[in-house]
Amino acid sequence: MALSGMRGLSVFISDIRNCQNKEQERLRVDKELGNIRTRFKNEKGLTPYEKKKYVWKMLYIFMLGYDVDFGHMEAVSLISAPKYPEKQVGYIVTSSLLNENHDFLRLAINTVRNDIIGRNETFQCLALTMVGNIGGREFAESLAPDVQKLLISSSCRPLVRKKAALCLLRLFRKNPDVVNVDGWSDRMAQLLDERDLGVLTSSMSLLVALVSNNHEAYWSCLPKCVKTLERLARNQDIPQEYTYYGIPSPWLQVKTMRALQYFPTVEDPNTRRSLFEVLQRILMGTDVVKNVNKNNASHAVLFEALALVMHLDAENEMMSQCVALLGKFIAVREPNIRYLGLENMTRMLMVTDVHDIIKRHQAQIITSLKDPDISIRRRALDLLYGMCDVSNAKDIVEELLQYLSTADFAMREELSLKAAILAEKFAPDLSWYVDVILQLIDKAGDFVSDDIWFRVVQFVTNNEDLQPYAAAKAREYLDKPAIHETMVKVSAYLLGEYSHLLARRPGCSPKEIFSAIHEKLPTVSTTTIPILLSTYAKILMHTQPPDPELQKHVWAIFSKYESCIDVEIQQRAIEYFALSSKGAALMDILAEMPKFPERQSALIKKAEVAEVDTAEQSAIKLRAQQHMTNALVVTDQHSSNGTPQSVGQLSLVKIPSISGDEHTSADQELSQANGTLATVDPQPPSADLLGDLLGPLAIEGLPGAAVLSEPNAVSGLEGVPIPADDAAAIVPVEKDTNSVQPIGNINERFYALCLKDSGVLYEDPNIQIGIKAEWRAQHGRLVLFLGNKNTFPLLSVQALILPPVHLKIELSLVPETIPPRAQVQCPLEVMNLHPSRDVAVLDFSYKCGTSMANVKLRLPAVLNKFLQPITVSAEEFFPQWRSLSGPPLKLQEVVRGVRPLSLIDMANIFTSFQLTVCQGLDPNPNNLIASTTFYSETIRPMLCLIRIETDPTDRTQLRITVASGDPTLTFELMEFIKEQLVGIPTAPRPPAPPAAPVAQPTNPAALTDPGDLLAGLL
Amino acid sequence: MIKSVLVINTQGKPRLTKFYDILAVEKQQELLRSVFGVLCSRADNVSNFVEAESIFGPDSRLVYKHYATLYFVIVFDSSENELAMLDLIQVFVETLDKFFRNVSELDMVFNYSKLHNILDGIIFGGQVMETSSAEIIRAVEEISKLEAASNSISLVPKTVSGWRSR
Repeated sequence: MALSGMRGLSVFISDIRNCQNKEQERLRVDKELGNIRTRFKNEKGLTPYEKKKYVWKMLYIFMLGYDVDFGHMEAVSLISAPKYPEKQVGYIVTSSLLNENHDFLRLAINTVRNDIIGRNETFQCLALTMVGNIGGREFAESLAPDVQKLLISSSCRPLVRKKAALCLLRLFRKNPDVVNVDGWSDRMAQLLDERDLGVLTSSMSLLVALVSNNHEAYWSCLPKCVKTLERLARNQDIPQEYTYYGIPSPWLQVKTMRALQYFPTVEDPNTRRSLFEVLQRILMGTDVVKNVNKNNASHAVLFEALALVMHLDAENEMMSQCVALLGKFIAVREPNIRYLGLENMTRMLMVTDVHDIIKRHQAQIITSLKDPDISIRRRALDLLYGMCDVSNAKDIVEELLQYLSTADFAMREELSLKAAILAEKFAPDLSWYVDVILQLIDKAGDFVSDDIWFRVVQFVTNNEDLQPYAAAKAREYLDKPAIHETMVKVSAYLLGEYSHLLARRPGCSPKEIFSAIHEKLPTVSTTTIPILLSTYAKILMHTQPPDPELQKHVWAIFSKYESCIDVEIQQRAIEYFALSSKGAALMDILAEMPKFPERQSALIKKAEVAEVDTAEQSAIKLRAQQHMTNALVVTDQHSSNGTPQSVGQLSLVKIPSISGDEHTSADQELSQANGTLATVDPQPPSADLLGDLLGPLAIEGLPGAAVLSEPNAVSGLEGVPIPADDAAAIVPVEKDTNSVQPIGNINERFYALCLKDSGVLYEDPNIQIGIKAEWRAQHGRLVLFLGNKNTFPLLSVQALILPPVHLKIELSLVPETIPPRAQVQCPLEVMNLHPSRDVAVLDFSYKCGTSMANVKLRLPAVLNKFLQPITVSAEEFFPQWRSLSGPPLKLQEVVRGVRPLSLIDMANIFTSFQLTVCQGLDPNPNNLIASTTFYSETIRPMLCLIRIETDPTDRTQLRITVASGDPTLTFELMEFIKEQLVGIPTAPRPPAPPAAPVAQPTNPAALTDPGDLLAGLL
Repeated sequence: MIKSVLVINTQGKPRLTKFYDILAVEKQQELLRSVFGVLCSRADNVSNFVEAESIFGPDSRLVYKHYATLYFVIVFDSSENELAMLDLIQVFVETLDKFFRNVSELDMVFNYSKLHNILDGIIFGGQVMETSSAEIIRAVEEISKLEAASNSISLVPKTVSGWRSR
């Protein structure tokens, strides 16, 4: 066994291997990290070898899943080391532990550039590797020309040029503008003449990226690609080491054909002919052989050739050749080939009209649905889904239903969704559709989403002929001993609406139907009970003449639920009870649901959205999309021919998987719908108009009737104009805003945090906001800890940062809800741009029960956080002090009305603000000299010198002199020190009255809130 | 583009992880666990493809190969050819085998840095760079030589600094 030659590393790895459990491992890792940290701190004692050893240990630890978040700065600085070993360590650790978002990576750009343009090839390789792995936009802008030069240089070794090609690809991805299209396309074409296959492979990858972005510019590369492909496919002049199991570099062949797929077509007849000859050769010359690796390699090329043929839309003969090949593949023993055969058949369906040929393989594909490999079963399902049309829908859907009972749980949801969509799209008759959906619910109720059963209800509602049939089916299912809850919902709904149509059939009297449904009530959850209550009310209404016994029974149930803890159930029970005693009015109010407006199916919409999501730029996909839309047009026509298609408005119902935009638009539509309802006709029997299936009935004369939104359905109601007498019950009015009183003094907490790095920023009875900060030069990382103190969740949590101009602050996403007793962490990145005493404000609000709380809190990202103490000797101090001779770099001011402080206390205050008090520099013992360094993004680290002259006879006045190399800094620092010495912390007063653009309180009532007062002061 | 290369042993321990996208450590570990969870339940005679979108998000594919006690996994997007990725795993393993002369899991555990260098010689920033194992080994040996040369030189300053601090 060869050892890596780093003993310490091997010992460490053995130790880790010997750990019995995760806890031991963690202890060992922590110990090692502690060790590495201290070793790196006093860096002088480390040899390059040791550094390398520690770096590999760090990488090993990183792989085990521990955060290695120190040493980044050191790593970056190692890059500039002159010798290979240290430089290598620097590059390795930088590219493994850092990413392009790390700010101080920028510091390294110059060094990296020097390595790239330098003469040392090993350094070039190191630098290119790092940039190729983690280089960001800025690297792209400053390095692209140099990397291009390396790539086209004939004097560079292949190793360097390969790396340069792929490095350029990365830079191009980060900023496409850096590759100058005009000049570069010729160079790119020249690169394709390369004889070294390693360099050619990398260049081809680069070309794929470039043409996928803009194929127009690279037409000149097309013939070269065809030449390369010819050379490879005919195995001309291919070195042995690039022949893989007898196949000339399959990767290069694949990449070349990939590049060709980005050109829309091949116009030149000669090129086209050569290309087709090669493709023909590949298609015909590939056989399934025994050696698995050879098989994989040759089929990699073959499948890519198939894709290219599909793309070029080759004459029909070649296409049918392809389908024949695929037909062969889906039946072979080799599972990988079977898998890809199915996948490519699905793709082919999308591009060309080969439905009829593929249908011949339907039996084989259905067999694949029972393959032992779930990956293959999935592909088979996709293909069946894709090839389904009116002619074979019945067969395929029934096959899917059959498979559903034995399918893995992992596939059932997808399977049932696909079966539902196919049934809807291609139903030869509607009763069949109802059958399929009910079977689906019966067999896989857990995997049937609400959309599916909503949809069948829409269909039935909109098709009168279907109603008796659906009701009878529902009745049948109710007789089964254990049915899924979704089935209870559907059958209850259908029977509530249409059971009267069955009245003459045996077992279908209102009483019998009622008891069949009521039997299920103990087994269902609270979301289903409201539906059952509606059904009871409807059965009661349909029972003419009224049946006193049934009525008594149902009323007993209503009154039982009148005190139910679930608001929805309670409301319905009360309303239905009141309604059913109204006699004739009941008939109007509980009349049949109206037809749903025609609308595209939510399911199909969902399927489309999914298609678009996965779409890529490739021409093949684009065409596939066109094809999809064509298919939809076809089905639409189909629907106008009598088969009901796009009906219903259940697309209004929120569907979790639809994108955010969809939500809002659906909500808007909804609120519009309800808006018209409320304004146009304020007193209708609202059952006629409420779009929501489960929508409760807002009835006049029942003042307590609150329109509460369904948990899984409508929630857009809040913005809707509502008749005044209902308003109170609907939305909690916002008069309680800011009823929450803070605990403790917000100002004191803020001043304390100006001196400390962690503590509590704000607290009230509901929430505690803690803060923990780390500062490094001009960068700061704050973590807000939002802790919910209650046993119920805090809602609508919002945190906005109102930063002053000199700070760049990024707040990570704050969750909208904080669960009970939970603490949420929100990191906050701060960068100081230039000196200023303005303060950032956190505008924080949340909702707790009915009350809104909103506070504006100053964040302790103040001037002194960007200071770092520095000790200055007399030899350093005086020349500096003298060279900064006067305003604006050196300011002097006499300050009166200072809080009397002893010199020692004053020195302590200074130390707490990161100013180093330099003892013995000033001969006068009543004076005090301090120094510090200020860090910001725009000016280099700046030394600041401060001198305080006190008068021992009058401690309330002193003379302050501040000097630094930047006028603003001098001014701001002077003001800062004055504030510290004059006001705080005994008299809490904001340190500065700047004109910061802090949000003005808009609600005058809110001014009583201390947080807003504070904001007002700011 | 290749998104990730993983080597996991049959007990779920990572032997090599490389992510070409920015990912937090916790996320990496989570992905590793999910991948292992899927792989360990797969029989031997099935295909080398696994549905990856539920783990790695849209537009991701996964191929793997099972050798003795190790799973080699590559995750990539639709711009790569599945079988070519499978071939790439084979190249990686054959290169390791040539380099270590009959590679075993232990070789890979204790030669973590070499493993990295070899992988970096094959895949560069998520793109296939070199597929000839002879060429890959040549590059890795070159790096080893440079490292070895610098190690012997570094002995001198070490002793000197030791002597000075005394």
